[in-house]
Amino acid sequence: MARVKRGSVARKRRRQVLKNTKGARSANSKLFRSAQQHNMKALRYAYVDRRNKKREARRQWIIRCNSATRLYGIGYSQFIHQLAKSQVRLNRKVLAQLALSNPEDFKNILQVVIENE
Amino acid sequence: MPYVVGYNWVKRKELPWNQEKLLKNVEGAEKLRWRIVDAKGVVLGRLASHLSKILQGKDKPTYNPSEDAGDVVVVVNAKEIELTGRKFENKLYRWHTGYPGGLKERTAKEQWEMDPTVILRKAVSGMLPKNNLRKLRTRKLQIFPGPEHDFVGPKYEGVELVPYELPERNIRMKKRVDFLDHSKLPEEFQPLNREWYEKMCRLYQIGNPYPKPVEGFKSKGEVGKKE
Repeated sequence: MARVKRGSVARKRRRQVLKNTKGARSANSKLFRSAQQHNMKALRYAYVDRRNKKREARRQWIIRCNSATRLYGIGYSQFIHQLAKSQVRLNRKVLAQLALSNPEDFKNILQVVIENE
Repeated sequence: MPYVVGYNWVKRKELPWNQEKLLKNVEGAEKLRWRIVDAKGVVLGRLASHLSKILQGKDKPTYNPSEDAGDVVVVVNAKEIELTGRKFENKLYRWHTGYPGGLKERTAKEQWEMDPTVILRKAVSGMLPKNNLRKLRTRKLQIFPGPEHDFVGPKYEGVELVPYELPERNIRMKKRVDFLDHSKLPEEFQPLNREWYEKMCRLYQIGNPYPKPVEGFKSKGEVGKKE
């Protein structure tokens, strides 16, 4: 067989991994073997947390809706029940943003929803 | 709680490195909202759960768990907090010193005599989430045993203490409140255990329509006493 030198193939592979781990601490951004383990964990966490991000965002919207409606004397559970009864299809993301940016519109929605008991 | 014992509460000193900050070890206390709460006649745990929500900032629609935008809370009259049942004599505060056989305990009564603010502080910090912000949030909670607090003077001029009222309690125990329904009781009725009856009236927020004691009858606490 002809002679094959390995050349710079390995170096290119390792450089890509080290590019991903820029900003990591001590050996994890300098040395390939520690950096690769660090990188594998980081990619795994990123995969999982892309799905967790949606759950956490919904959790924060709910907390903000709860605090906004309690200023008017109602809790989140009663509010959502009345929303469903009066067939208002607004979601929690929009309601939480309304409570911050347009508090008058939020108050109008609350009044409409409460009167439909 | 009819105790008139002196307590080991030390007043905050005006040290030179505390002069500029409004609150020690709390950055940005000027931008936060300050609230004042009166703890007279309030049940301990029910107050503590509301306070933990305020300290986290969960009563504001701008809630963000990564930043700490909770209110600074000043609690006043902490030595007049109520504990239901026999917890005042029986509730134990325990800790371990690290040495073998070093489990120590203290009743709520002894703790109240030494420092009544610790009771509320432990209750609230146990209800906060156990993360890196827990210590900061307990520092924002300032408890005073009497009716006066330290935040009075020229240094605290820009600080408004907004009073906080506890929300109404939904008492679902309708069956038990029947004994306090005075329209159903006969006219000659008089409560024999007067202390317990007045305590119940206070907890259910009903006025006492039987203020005069029955002549010649001793309540439970007075049976063994000699005049």
